[in-house]
Parts: sequence; structure tokens; C-alpha cells
Amino acid sequence: MLIVGYFFLFPIFRLVYVSFMSNEHTFTFSNFETAFKDPYRTGFLNSIKIGIFSAAIAAIPGAVAAYFIETRGSSKLRRTIAVMSGVLANTGGIPLAFMFYAALGIQGKLTQFIKFLGWDIYAGQFSLGSFVGLLIVYLYFQLPLMVIVFSPAIVSLRKEWSEAARNLGANQFNYWMRIGIPLLFPSFIASFLLLFASGFSAYATANALTVGNLPLTPLQIGGLLDGNVSASQLNLGKALGVVMIVISALAVIPYLVIQRRSARWQKL
Amino acid sequence: MAKAMKLRQQFPLVITLLLLTLFVFIPMISAFEYSIRTPLEGGYGWTHYLWAIREEEFFHYIFRSGWLAGVTVLITLIILVPTMTWLHVSKSPVRPVIDGISLLPLVIPVVAFAVGAQISFPEFVQNTVFELPFLYFVLSLPYAYRSLDIGLNSIPLKTITEAARSSGANWIKTISTVIIPVIRSSVMATIALTFALSIGEYTLTVLLHWDTFPTWVTYVAQDNILGAIAISMMSLIIPFLILTTITLFIPERSIQGRK
Repeated sequence: MLIVGYFFLFPIFRLVYVSFMSNEHTFTFSNFETAFKDPYRTGFLNSIKIGIFSAAIAAIPGAVAAYFIETRGSSKLRRTIAVMSGVLANTGGIPLAFMFYAALGIQGKLTQFIKFLGWDIYAGQFSLGSFVGLLIVYLYFQLPLMVIVFSPAIVSLRKEWSEAARNLGANQFNYWMRIGIPLLFPSFIASFLLLFASGFSAYATANALTVGNLPLTPLQIGGLLDGNVSASQLNLGKALGVVMIVISALAVIPYLVIQRRSARWQKL
Repeated sequence: MAKAMKLRQQFPLVITLLLLTLFVFIPMISAFEYSIRTPLEGGYGWTHYLWAIREEEFFHYIFRSGWLAGVTVLITLIILVPTMTWLHVSKSPVRPVIDGISLLPLVIPVVAFAVGAQISFPEFVQNTVFELPFLYFVLSLPYAYRSLDIGLNSIPLKTITEAARSSGANWIKTISTVIIPVIRSSVMATIALTFALSIGEYTLTVLLHWDTFPTWVTYVAQDNILGAIAISMMSLIIPFLILTTITLFIPERSIQGRK
């Protein structure tokens, strides 16, 4: 407990505390004022946008995939998928960037294939370092993450319920509209929020793919921390960090509440 | 008839798997194709892989990341298993609080955590690479805690510990020879998760100015891009193979707990 306290809670409290300090160690809000002005404001908006979009695009296919894998797959298959999703959800940074350069870069395999089919994706503004490019790359770890976090909800859907519904005369469609979707919906929203937090705070991948052309909060914090970016306010980076924590908390706390609630009825 | 039914049932699964496979492997295979190109002679070969293995730093960093991850796993198990056993047995009122704390790292973006770590530890902590395993432990806490929690919930823990204690085992013995073997599948899952997370951790490491395998790959990429791709491929495929082998060889949980 002490170790958790020292290595985890202490840095966070200290971060919050220091974020209110001016350069002369007096109390101030000015760090936060700067944090909400450009370029940092754009950074937050972009980060939030990429969090929402990448979560929204990954959520439904991930949920459907989780459903078929959990209900139809054999135990070996399920365990392999679980491991694979675990590894894939943790990919990021340079390795992930390489894979996408190889596939969707200017000389990429997939790019050439699509071009062969008559569509040059590089004809317009597209590049992997752009917002859309980053979004596609993020899906590579968001989708497996969705499979991981949504699978437990699928497992808790009991076969008895579908049988009971069928006995009462429901067809497949009725079952899904009246029972399946309402039951899974809270978990679905919860998973969505978690995915948002993950896309919102991803650093390594964004760092590898963008070259400073797309302002994102994690990159800005990293820049401030490394001293690459000069800022008149020494503690600006800390204030950005605190704002990130608040945004991410707003997303994750509902997730935890929903999880706890659904855990309760799943036990019944 | 029955076979046709089964086929119809399997059909959506097959489609799902097919799409997932395409999605996962197209980028992977494209990268692999790059990594075996030999631009000088044309054609293909293992040049870049051999190059990587011959680099002195390759094994240096693999070894370093490996032992850091190993230490993280040890820390995680040594801290979590006894604490959680105690929490489960004693029905202590602090348990909800600790449950909550264990999930907090999900809320804190790693970048923000790195900033916090940088400003709050005294010099002597920041100067030793041993700070990393403790920080990795924090990052993996939500996953490790969850998976151990599931394991401990699924066994009649109280009965088992009481039996062990009344047969004369002390706490250390109870935990190491009774509890860990009983929940071995969730212990293994914890090990796998923690290990995978710490061996691939990049953000925190680079922001605190340490060099490990993932940060080294980034460094290599600056002057030998194909070599770096080769290394990246290995860094993806090797953990995947190890973890798959581990999970497929562990027998399924023998005690099916109350649901």
C-alpha cells in the first residue's frame, strides 16, 4: 500500500499542487488560463475529437466481433483471441507506425492495391500524420481493446434468457430489441468511454506518426516536459496534465459506475 | 442435417474472424515484406534480421527490458497476492477504497503520470533504473488487480486459508504453496499482462529519459529504417508467440466457482 501511495498517489497530488504554482512559487490560476488558450485549446479539441471518433468507429465492429467470438468460438480460439487482443491493444509507437507506413504509406502495399483499383488516396490531403490517418492507425489498437472490454458483458448474457424469450414467442429480432440490446447497452457505453480515454491519451503512436503538424495534448505535454518547446510558464505542462486527468476522469468514472452496477445484476 | 446447422451457426464467426484477420495482418504482412527486402542486391533476404541480432545493443536492450519486466512481475505478485488475499479473507471495510484506487491508473493519462513522477521523486530515486518497475507496476495495476480479483472470487478462499492455517502453515506458506497454485490461471494471466505491458512501455520510459528496448527501436529508426522495421516485427511476434504458448498449455480452470 505504501508503495502504491508513494509511486502513484504522491506524484498525482504533487502534479495537481504544482500546476497551481507560478514561476515564483506563488499560487496562481494563470497556468490554467494559458492551458485553455491556443495552441493548447486546439490540442485539447483535437485530442477529444480523435478520442471520440476512434472510439465510435471501433465500438460497434468490436462489439459484434466479441459477440460472435464469445458465443460461437471454441475455448481454444477464445483464449488465443484474448492473448492476441492483449498484445495488439498494447501495440503502439514506432512498430505500429511502421506497419501502417508499409501498408498505407505513399509506397504502401494497400495504397498501391487501392490505386490499382482506380483510387489514389494520396491525390487529396491524406497522409498518415493527418487527423484521418491517425484515426485509422488508432483503430488498430482500439478495436482489440473493445473486444477485451466488451467480452465479459457478452459472457454474462445467459442462454436461458434467449430460450425463455423464445418460449414466450419472441423471434430473433424481438429478442435483440427487447432483451439483448437493452442488457448490453450499459456495458457498451462503458466500453465506449474507456476507448475514448485510451484514444484521448495515446502518446507513443501519435509521437511516431505526426511531425508537429497536428496539435494533440499528450504531444504538447511531452514537448514541454522535454524542454523542446519554450514556455514562459514553467508549470504549464503540469496544468495541461491536470486538465487531461479531469477530462479522462469524466469519461472513466461513469465507466466504473456502470461496471459496478452491471456486476451486481450479473451476479444474481 | 446437424452438420448443416452447425455450419450455419459457424458462418458469422468465420466471417468475423476473416475480417479481423485481414485487418490485423495486412499492415503486419506489409511491414514484414519491407523488413525482408534487400535494397542493395534486390530480392529478399534476412539481412536486416541478421544485422539486428549482430548489433551489440540489441541483446543489451532486450536483456534490460526483459529484466525490468521480470522485476515488475515480481513486484506485482509480491505486493498484490498477499494484500488481496488479506482483503478477501478479512472482509475489511477498506476494501472498496482499495478497489477504487486500483482502478485509478485508468483515469490518469500516462503522459500526465510521467510529469507527476518527474517532479515528485527525489534525485536518488530518479537516478536509478529501479524506479521503472515500480511505475510499470502502477500502470498495470488495474489489469493485474482485476484478474487476480476474479481468481480469488472464484475459489472458496476462506475455507482454504483456514484449512492451511490449521494444518500449521504460516501466512507465507499458505500463500505460496496453497493460494497461488489454486488460482494459477489468473496468476498466469496477471504475469502475462504485466510482462507484456512493461516490455512494451514507451511513453513513461522516454519521458523520464530512460533507454529500453522500445525506445532503442525508435533510435535505430533514425538511421536504419529497414533494420528498425525488422526489430519491430520481432518485438511484436515474439511476445505473441510466447503468450499464446503459455495460455494454450495451461489447463483450463479446474475449479468452477460460483457464478
